[in-house]
Amino acid sequence: MKKFDHIKVRSYEEASRVVREGNGAVEPIAGGTDLLGTLKDRLLPDYPEAVVSLKGIAGSRYIEEKDGMLAIGAGTTLKQIAESPLVKDYCQALSEAACSVASPLIRSTATIGGNVCQDVRCWYYRYPDSIGGRLECKRKGGDTCYAIAGENRYHSIFGGMCTGGSSCQHACPAGTDIPGYMAKIRENDWAGAADIFFKYNPMPMMTSRVCPHGCTQHCNQSVYGESVNIPAVERTLGDYILKHKEEYYKAPHKETGKKCAIIGAGPGGLTAAFYLRSAGHQVTVYDSHEKPGGVLRYGIPHYRLPKTIVDEFCQALETLMGIRFVMNTTVGRDVTVEQIKADNDAVYFGTGAWSQPVLGLEGENLTEFGLNFLEEVNTYLKKAMGENVLVCGGGNVAMDVALTACRLGAKSVKLVCLEQRGEMPASEEEIQMALEEGVELYNGWGLGKVLESEGKVKGLLAKRCLSVRDENGRFAPKYHEEDTMELASDFIILATGQKVELSFLGDHLSSQIKTSRGLIDADAQSGRTRAQGYYAGGDAVTGPDLAIRAIAAGRNAARTMNLDLRPENGGEQQSAEGAEELAKERFTTFNVEGVERTKAVRPGELPASERSLTGEDRSSLDQEQAKQEACRCLHCACYAVNPSDITPVLVMEGARIVTTERTLSAKELFTSKLTVQDILHRGELVTEIRIPRASGETHYDKRRVRNAIDFAIVSLASAFEAEDAVVKSCRLVLGGVAPVPYELPEVEAYLRGKEITPETAAQAGEIAMKHAFAMSGNEYKIFMCKDAIYNRVMEAGR
Amino acid sequence: MKEHLEQICMTVNGVPRKFVIGDGVGCVSPSETLLDTIRDRLGLTAAKRSCEHGACGCCTVIVDGDAVASCMVLTADCDGSSVTTLEGLCDPVTGELSPLQKAFADNSAFQCGFCTPGIIMSTKALLDQNPNPTEKELTEALSGNYCRCISHYQVIRTVMGFINEMKRKEA
Repeated sequence: MKKFDHIKVRSYEEASRVVREGNGAVEPIAGGTDLLGTLKDRLLPDYPEAVVSLKGIAGSRYIEEKDGMLAIGAGTTLKQIAESPLVKDYCQALSEAACSVASPLIRSTATIGGNVCQDVRCWYYRYPDSIGGRLECKRKGGDTCYAIAGENRYHSIFGGMCTGGSSCQHACPAGTDIPGYMAKIRENDWAGAADIFFKYNPMPMMTSRVCPHGCTQHCNQSVYGESVNIPAVERTLGDYILKHKEEYYKAPHKETGKKCAIIGAGPGGLTAAFYLRSAGHQVTVYDSHEKPGGVLRYGIPHYRLPKTIVDEFCQALETLMGIRFVMNTTVGRDVTVEQIKADNDAVYFGTGAWSQPVLGLEGENLTEFGLNFLEEVNTYLKKAMGENVLVCGGGNVAMDVALTACRLGAKSVKLVCLEQRGEMPASEEEIQMALEEGVELYNGWGLGKVLESEGKVKGLLAKRCLSVRDENGRFAPKYHEEDTMELASDFIILATGQKVELSFLGDHLSSQIKTSRGLIDADAQSGRTRAQGYYAGGDAVTGPDLAIRAIAAGRNAARTMNLDLRPENGGEQQSAEGAEELAKERFTTFNVEGVERTKAVRPGELPASERSLTGEDRSSLDQEQAKQEACRCLHCACYAVNPSDITPVLVMEGARIVTTERTLSAKELFTSKLTVQDILHRGELVTEIRIPRASGETHYDKRRVRNAIDFAIVSLASAFEAEDAVVKSCRLVLGGVAPVPYELPEVEAYLRGKEITPETAAQAGEIAMKHAFAMSGNEYKIFMCKDAIYNRVMEAGR
Repeated sequence: MKEHLEQICMTVNGVPRKFVIGDGVGCVSPSETLLDTIRDRLGLTAAKRSCEHGACGCCTVIVDGDAVASCMVLTADCDGSSVTTLEGLCDPVTGELSPLQKAFADNSAFQCGFCTPGIIMSTKALLDQNPNPTEKELTEALSGNYCRCISHYQVIRTVMGFINEMKRKEA
């Protein structure tokens, strides 16, 4: 075993303090039968520097009656509990459960406190580090659960449990609960899916088309095959929402009387407008363009995002929700920010990054600015340009410019960028598409100067780029000045970035909220600026970035603005709702056949020859296809089962768990979160377990492969009060079948007052398994549960 | 971490032993198991190192009257304990086997013998606490001791026979 220190303490208080001060490097050890196994196999990425031994705490082992309850010290061994007449008298089931743990050799050392806090026995989780390295599974803070598409015969039959979200959700700048809405779509509950989606983003019909979907790169299905086609499923959901737009873009029930102004009608501004209006505020959106949508309308080409969709969305905001749009109005020129502020309680800047950065290139004045080019084409669907177009830049805007030039009928389109093919910021899909349509790529070249003759562009002198970034990853291109190349062109478009322009703020506000880098200084989380009542987010704060980040910023700022405007409606109410929701959707499930499919469902795509400037390249999946694709989602969570024999009994008996800080119900401590450690604070130690006297007859039935050592495959903690073969009351809790002990309130309600017959006993088993969800290899556990329940019910009638 | 030179005392097979817990030469490492200490420091090699996870029972010794898997106990946690290994069962002076050990030898209640020290220690702990167990109780007490040669049948027969013999002698 790798070395660790051993700290002796005299009291729980001292132990708590040592663990707390250890800051994660000190683990408490009681009997050690669980922890030493974990340490020997180096199961966890963190290894303690020291263990603090609870064995020396005097008076931690006792079994006694206290205030009419059975009180057991946390340091009491399972052997003592199994042999105690007092335990048998209070709760036979606990005695049986203790006696069923492992073997006598372990029971003589293991304590009840350690037992209830023990770690799972999942073979992926416990894969030893010495044989090829431990597995960083979901439970260890890794990405996925290997049992989903692996060997799962001993895993959960009620689904998994997640703490801390999934990797795709973490990859999404808006934090969208992707597995959550996928699960709803699998159930064909599109309204439910939309409800989840709207918590994060009000415009899936846009983001599904324009977002690069970094989430797909973090999809764990890619371990087995292709990632889940998240954009395609999202798009179908967007189609659904637009079809039912009256239900999703509604005027608020109640007006608050507060007024908010949004400056900039782009994705971020419209998102803020949506959430603020939903919260009941009066919202006015200002924008210098003719129509709302910002970059969605003017930056993104029609073939990627048809403007009819932007129209439909913006109209819904205006006519259905009652958001007011003031277009063709340049703030700072037509109206000042101060005037807007005077009319409103809060102002949000979502003004984006629309300006051309000056590169200082010789002949730069003869070039076209990429965003202007797109804006013009998107507005008029035509544009006078040369025959041989040269696009400079390697990002998605450059790709849009190049493709647009192709589709406008350019004879040739070349694209030159600093980055090598593999480091281009544009998404691979976009690059592929450009190549398909005949764009020639010149990777690793920087801009030297524009070649001209009599004021006409002739081409570009490019110089070799040796490296794009410095050792710290900062953008600092290095060139080989002598290694040059001439690229012939009569029309050069610079798509090498955009700049934030803030002169509209005016001097006074600028001095308060403008940073030295020429951006708005706003808190990334709350969107608050230093000027009271002013909020900002999106490109104006971060510099040019993805639409989804602007959407996230708009949503976060709207939440803050709402809180600031109506402090009396604090966040507490929301969290209460959240907790309830969490409880309801406690267990995650997936589609057993679906997760095995390694190929993604792909939407129809026009062949390169048929693509046009205005028609959308790709079609939507229909709902059935999207559902099939959602079935491929692994719903990454932990699918291991609770290993303890004691906890199902404690939950069944309504035991109370005393810790160094508080007293918790067994149900709360053992069933509300994936692990006990998710609930206990650092250094909080279990000190005593209190069990009320059981009413009726209690038992613990355990099914396992071998009768010694093994953990339960299925276990049943039960309490029955029966009279003349009629159930008066009963309590049933399953162990070893779900990530936490699994209560059966429906079965209890069914059995109450029933005469015990083979039919009722069988029916009880059926009801118990109503919500069961078998994985590929563990359906037998369902039969085993039914059998255990049948036998126990029949036994109660004897 | 903290500075310490923690000293622990325990009795092993009736002999008082002192160990200093620490990282120095001759010290018992804080992460050392009882099995490592009795085998590697005291040379008491009857207890076997096998699964290292408390699942096989080959390392069974008796600590304060209970049979335990010594691979799952830290020596640093054994301050004040009384430990008995198989070596402690025979006569310390003459080296004569205890009656229980003799019974195992006389009845060939083993095959390769690797698990036998653990089985004898589990049996001993049971008989110390319950001199007259039923066969079921014996089977349960030995349920943590694995034998890959399937010597269990001889073991149960031998121990039950041994118990009857003891009873007869007492009577």
